[in-house]
Amino acid sequence: MTPEDELLLEQVTSAHRERHADGSIRAHPAWHDLDEDGRREAFEATVVLRQLEAALDPGGHSATVRALLARITRG
Amino acid sequence: MTEELLALSAMARGDAAVFARWASSVEVPLRGSLRAFATSVDTEAVVQETLLRIWQVAPRFSHDGRPNALLRFAMRTARNVAVSEWRRQGRADQQEALEQHLAAESEVAPITPDPYLRAKIGQCRDQLPEKPRVALGQRMLSNGADDDSVLAARLNMSLNTFLQNFTRARKFLKACLEKAGINLDVELS
Repeated sequence: MTPEDELLLEQVTSAHRERHADGSIRAHPAWHDLDEDGRREAFEATVVLRQLEAALDPGGHSATVRALLARITRG
Repeated sequence: MTEELLALSAMARGDAAVFARWASSVEVPLRGSLRAFATSVDTEAVVQETLLRIWQVAPRFSHDGRPNALLRFAMRTARNVAVSEWRRQGRADQQEALEQHLAAESEVAPITPDPYLRAKIGQCRDQLPEKPRVALGQRMLSNGADDDSVLAARLNMSLNTFLQNFTRARKFLKACLEKAGINLDVELS
């Protein structure tokens, strides 16, 4: 994996996702720039990272769950 | 199953905290069920869209009387969301792989937090060098609200430096846990 691909992968592991006009959640732009091996690695890295985040969060929630919680409580 | 029915009832009343606890217990199996789609769709977007839909349909969800009904429904929803996105991209070249995946059914159950693992991860986090620790902390504080470029600017870092520090944090935590005999790939996925 090139250093450029590693930076793309790291962005894909974020829970931040923009939304379409209808409110549905969009793919991260960096995900489109990764090749298949990079996408597989990003998936596996995210599986592990979300568990790390949940373990470090006082409520036991990953960034994914906290992002959703913020969204639904904002209304 | 009583616990699941109570959680569903609370979610139907709009209890977001109960929803978050339920979502945390099912996130690993839900994400794992999308592994075959990892090269075809952005599974993080699929997981978020799925959980959002579950929150929206909870007041109308009809329990089938069997364990983990809501998780099983979430997994079907996740697959449908992934397939819709896959078709939207016109990925006809992967039709065979998709059909094989859709034919496969796996047993599912929520995950209970492991206090030992949680404590070990906390100890490893405390040993992180400063910049990787700060990068990890920014992502945690953001709750997914901000793009990494925004988080980097808050830390007066370039985006590349922020991402490199985040990579260091992930790799440091993994190595630290492996020193303690914990293989994250085995324990968590």
